[in-house]
Amino acid sequence: MTTIHLPKTVGALALLGFALLLPLVIQDPARQNFLILILMGAQLGVAWNIIGGYAGQVSLGHAVFYGIGAYTSTMLSLKLGLSPWLGMLAGGVVASAFSVAMGWPCFRLKGHYFAMATIAVAEIVQVLVTNSETLEGAVGLSLPMGNTGVAAMVFSTSKLPYYYIILGLLVVTVLASWAIERSHIGYYFRAIKDEPEAARALGVSLTRYKLVAIAVSSFFTAMGGSFYAQKEMFIDPGSVLATGVSIKIALIAILGGVGTLLGPVLGAGILITIEEYSRVLFGSTGSGTDMIIYALMIILVAVYSPAGVMGLLHELRRRIPSLRAKAEVRA
Amino acid sequence: MKAWLRGTVVGAAAVAALGLVWSGPARAQDEIRIGVIYPLTGAAASTGVELKAAAELAAAITNRELPAPDKLAAAVGMPNLKGAKIKLIFGDHQGNPQVGATEAERLITSEKVVALVGAYFSNVTATASQVAERYGVPFLNADSSSATLTQRNFKWFFRTTPHDDLFVTNFFAFLQDMEKKKGVQLRTLGLFNENTLWGNETTKLEVKLAEEQKFKVAEKIVYPAKATQMTSEVQRLKAANPAVVMQSSYLGDAILSMKTYKELGFSPQMLLANDAGFNDSEFLKTLGKDGEYVFSREVWALDQAERNPLIKRVNEMMKERSGVNFNGNSARAFTGVAVLADAINRAGSTKPEDIRKALQETSLSAEQLILPWKGVKFDAQGQNELGQGIIVQVQGGQYVTVWPFDVATKEVVFPMPAWDKR
Amino acid sequence: MTADLFLQILVSGLLIGLIYALVAVGLTLIFGVMDIVNFAHGEFLMLGMYASFWGFALFGIDPILSMPVTAALLFGVGVLVYQVIIRRIINAPMLSQIFATFGLMILFRGLAQFFWKPDHRLVTHTLVGGNVTLGSIQFGLPQLTAAVGAVGVTAGLWYFLHRTRLGTALEATAIDREAATLMGINGQSMFALAWGIGAACAGIGGALIATFFPIFPEVGSNFILIAFVVVVLGGFGSIVGAFWAGIIVGVIEVVGGFVVGPEYKTAIVLSLLLLVLLVRPKGLMGKA
Repeated sequence: MTTIHLPKTVGALALLGFALLLPLVIQDPARQNFLILILMGAQLGVAWNIIGGYAGQVSLGHAVFYGIGAYTSTMLSLKLGLSPWLGMLAGGVVASAFSVAMGWPCFRLKGHYFAMATIAVAEIVQVLVTNSETLEGAVGLSLPMGNTGVAAMVFSTSKLPYYYIILGLLVVTVLASWAIERSHIGYYFRAIKDEPEAARALGVSLTRYKLVAIAVSSFFTAMGGSFYAQKEMFIDPGSVLATGVSIKIALIAILGGVGTLLGPVLGAGILITIEEYSRVLFGSTGSGTDMIIYALMIILVAVYSPAGVMGLLHELRRRIPSLRAKAEVRA
Repeated sequence: MKAWLRGTVVGAAAVAALGLVWSGPARAQDEIRIGVIYPLTGAAASTGVELKAAAELAAAITNRELPAPDKLAAAVGMPNLKGAKIKLIFGDHQGNPQVGATEAERLITSEKVVALVGAYFSNVTATASQVAERYGVPFLNADSSSATLTQRNFKWFFRTTPHDDLFVTNFFAFLQDMEKKKGVQLRTLGLFNENTLWGNETTKLEVKLAEEQKFKVAEKIVYPAKATQMTSEVQRLKAANPAVVMQSSYLGDAILSMKTYKELGFSPQMLLANDAGFNDSEFLKTLGKDGEYVFSREVWALDQAERNPLIKRVNEMMKERSGVNFNGNSARAFTGVAVLADAINRAGSTKPEDIRKALQETSLSAEQLILPWKGVKFDAQGQNELGQGIIVQVQGGQYVTVWPFDVATKEVVFPMPAWDKR
Repeated sequence: MTADLFLQILVSGLLIGLIYALVAVGLTLIFGVMDIVNFAHGEFLMLGMYASFWGFALFGIDPILSMPVTAALLFGVGVLVYQVIIRRIINAPMLSQIFATFGLMILFRGLAQFFWKPDHRLVTHTLVGGNVTLGSIQFGLPQLTAAVGAVGVTAGLWYFLHRTRLGTALEATAIDREAATLMGINGQSMFALAWGIGAACAGIGGALIATFFPIFPEVGSNFILIAFVVVVLGGFGSIVGAFWAGIIVGVIEVVGGFVVGPEYKTAIVLSLLLLVLLVRPKGLMGKA
């Protein structure tokens, strides 16, 4: 609890140092892979949080940006031999453009209607890609395995490069999210979310700032999608464009606590852990036990910690004055 | 008080989750660990559970826990490894390619398996086998039929089952044979396939072969899987009125389509299904009489037991252990594990490289298998060259072999009678 | 397209549309009363189907006859879910409510697989089995029964909400929770009632659909997206809206699937939804 009150930069650097050293301690590739899955989830959660948390627009269609990222970088790599490093940026740009085109009409919708519209858009795109001959439809796209190395962003057995790439991507996403939170736009977002009518009366253009938020959010979500393609080397509509992907991204942010900078990171840590361990420990029975455990965990968190784990930490801190006093003394 | 309670509950849940450690591989020295990846939860769980039971039966036979006919490949056991026991470690891929890859990685690196078997879904097999390829661990696929899987020049990938190319070729050979035998014209086709990798590849092959062999595609439908209704699909088929409908569906859709055919009174002269849902143990159990007269490509049928006592014995063992007869899927999963066990024994080693070499040298004959194949022998791409398909028809509540004519046990019933004339 | 064929497609679409409405009314009722989207609604439907199946398999009772029992059972499930979980998150943000009902969805699927195995089941004989032929048009009797059931359930709900004391109290709670409490209506019991009735509607839907649809733990996932589309198109909380929206979705899906191609039928329905939302951001009959 005390670290929260230390100067934030020190805390952040300590956290980053820990993350940088972690895979050197944990050398088992399966566990490193597990850490990568957490970082992937965290990166998507942080990106989602920019629109879903700060701007308060609950999107349940982020798979569409994820899929655009995965398909753009993969197609550019397969057809033009473009390095996925550039493909990733290209995917981000395409997704941003798409998100603006989608957001412009959809931001008129409120609450559940907006959420449903985002599901609809993502599902429509999934149908179109599934039936597109150019994109190989349901057959999916495979990246060739022979071409390994940094330029191709494909690594045969070592997990470390993947780990550091996704860690870097996460750091950049967090920085972007932080910059937005601190900027004028961040203040407007809070205003939009808390007092939409008042903000409008003050002349804050709701739509314009929402569009900025969704453009940034989709850009980073798409980069996460490109990373997925490079890691698994096979994409198809079912794995990168399905609504299940959208819901998982939102769940990560919700679990950690929406509208907080590092909440989604925490959320990813917990959700992916529950998901992986319940499957590893109970999935092999084929009796559905892993689903039951996973579901119970989710419901427990939702019921006992509606503001996410971050909200819980805040509440704990508020409810335990002695601890807070001590922390302040140390700080 | 309340906050404390909440804190404790959530905290405990989080700590319990984070604190859990992967059960470290505590294993006996003489244990041969094989990873098996199947869909054990999710929409295909019922199939996955069946495949699991079949794989376990093969392991039990290899481990001499059950007496089995000597000729059977699996019954040889592990004499070259001093009677070491096989231990199957199962992973659940939930029908998700990323989970499949994650499970493959875990099984290889944490569970230290010496080979992998899986994964039923072609797209999951694609990602999981890629992981095996990276680590240099043999991946034996017994039940994914996408032709592209063995076109990837993988060094560590082996597939025992024939793939869609062969199955679709069989369809057309069967139709040509039928035309000759019955003196009928079966030249108009309705292609009705589901919209995933499998259905898409099948559609492409069917269109290609139809063109080459001068069949006319009267209607081509690729429908979204997990349907709530199939009325528009069936109406289109009905309007096109093809002589033969070729269909690829998983179980839920297969049942729904049959009910819709009946509801809308659609009966082509022949309904030729592409295995999967139509051959699932549940298909006839749920549809009963309405499943009659359907043709399906298969790799296995119970009536083959009449020709081969070996099949009969092994099927009885399956029935005793898990309460169901073999079907095409489970018989292939059984064979996959048996082929792998045979290779490991011949390798006399659990080193992946030795197992890979032994797999390449695999040469099993027809008598050692429970499938009506000529044997098992892998080509340079890891594809079994000796597999072959059969065509079965539902007659009197049973799947009976009707083609190739020389292994047929029953005569073809043709054409399919209209629904109101049954 | 001949006139006969067109009529046939229209009738098929109408029937399936009414079935969609049947699934959606319970979902929209729960939303209307307490602004919570229930992701586990498809699983209520699944439980209703299993209840009908077991009544049939164990005791030989036709799903149509066991329907009152199924509805009562599901009413209990709905109230239980409310008391154990939903009650605690009534004032939580929309996002954690989504989270909780999503968890419930997975939980019910897991439990179904655990207790009843992942197998596909089917009610093989039913009183309403068979086909109906009207001139050149054919359709299944089970579908017709389910469609009639949809009309009945919608009409019943409407009557209940507008013509009975209890129902009016429920409506009042939906419109203004605090004002209703001031007038002596117990909000908590109203919410529990809404969940009970919503789940019971799904139970009736399950019983009717079980007469022609395979039953398996994940069956809810086949229906849930379309149920959401129907609810949103009709306007969250509008029973009558869901009824008409169900019909529209069913007809558009079947006709669109026939004309454009079945692979695009979901996309056609969803495009229609987006178009309607652009013109009417609260759906066809949603309250502003």
